[in-house]
Amino acid sequence: MDKQVIQSVGFRNIEENGEIVGFQLKIRLPYYRGVYLSQIRPGHLIVDGESFGENEIMWRVNGEDFTYADMRKDCTRHWHPMEPATLIVKKPGGLKQGFHDLTYGFCCTHSYMPPFMEALEDPDKPAVIYFREFGQNTNSRRLLIV
Amino acid sequence: MYRNNNQGPKRGVALYSYSAEFGFEKTLEDCFEDIHDMGATGVEILANTHIENYPYPTDEWVNYWFSLCDKYQVEPVEYGHWIDCRVLQDRLLSTEEAVARLEQDLRLAHRLGFKVLRTKMSVVDDALNPVENWREIIRGALPLAERLGLTMCPEIHIPTNLKSQMIIDFSVFRHKFDEGEFVDPHFVPNEPEDIIPLIPYIYCCHAKFIHMNDDFEETTIPYKEVLMALRDNGYNGYLLSEYEGADKYDQGYEVGQTLRKHHIMMKNILGY
Repeated sequence: MDKQVIQSVGFRNIEENGEIVGFQLKIRLPYYRGVYLSQIRPGHLIVDGESFGENEIMWRVNGEDFTYADMRKDCTRHWHPMEPATLIVKKPGGLKQGFHDLTYGFCCTHSYMPPFMEALEDPDKPAVIYFREFGQNTNSRRLLIV
Repeated sequence: MYRNNNQGPKRGVALYSYSAEFGFEKTLEDCFEDIHDMGATGVEILANTHIENYPYPTDEWVNYWFSLCDKYQVEPVEYGHWIDCRVLQDRLLSTEEAVARLEQDLRLAHRLGFKVLRTKMSVVDDALNPVENWREIIRGALPLAERLGLTMCPEIHIPTNLKSQMIIDFSVFRHKFDEGEFVDPHFVPNEPEDIIPLIPYIYCCHAKFIHMNDDFEETTIPYKEVLMALRDNGYNGYLLSEYEGADKYDQGYEVGQTLRKHHIMMKNILGY
């Protein structure tokens, strides 16, 4: 696992029945403790300027796939900091060969911290109150598609 | 299973200290060996972080956990966990839902050999007041805790003063302190002796530290006075080193060396 949130392993196009139907990348949870899926506040994935919203991204956690609607109400499945999640995006033709600039934003709720802190945070912007053990909301990386 | 039955404060480590390295430079076994190197005999885990496949670890993992405790002569001391009442973003959990989740942690703590839990309550406002039904949640889980021989502890954490109202509020299940015995001096540091009247109710201490110098002194906390107060007044629980410095996330930082400095200090003060 890489220390960076966006992992170098796992970034590739997805092929189904001989067609490229989309792409995937992996992210790790940069928080010092794991979270239930309903605690995640996903933002946007930006790929070379093209934006994908939370409803266009499927999360794969521990081998199971979740839409954003599924995740919001799932407080029993847990995302562990040592198990990167896969983000799956539908995009006919996928991403072309070469470099891609990726930025993804997400944050989490913390029941033991005052609620105003969550209200301040926008998953698509750098943390207003930044703790290193909570990680940064937005993370970027430049990676290659073969 | 290994248990340290010595009298007096005992040395241990809170795995939280390894937050920046766990899963990268350090495996769970590395942390246990590090603890053993320090001559420490107890560990605190964070359930959501250190239990593989939490909250449903496999029997194989649980066996692995006990094999580490045996191999490195380290006992499970404190199970750190949270009651996330705001786990759903559109509403608070009901009392029944929160009790069910708390009971799941109680069972898991027991399965891993813990007797003490640091039960972190959800807060609802900026003054860090707990959810309104926190007493009902704790009360709802007490029968199971009692049956399994478990003690749930709130963490008294800076800026809470040891003489504050919160200590009275959290004490309702064990002991009723007299009103007026306490003032509420938030952000006022305590004197070391302030801990003495609370010792019968302390099951575990986070030995937090911020800065160790190369002469093995903590430069911000009067450690010698606090440890002497604990030792001389019958405290038999653990001191779990918890390194709070944010520099542990710096590239190349080795928290194990910082923990060793802390244990040199505690060993020199306690004499063991």
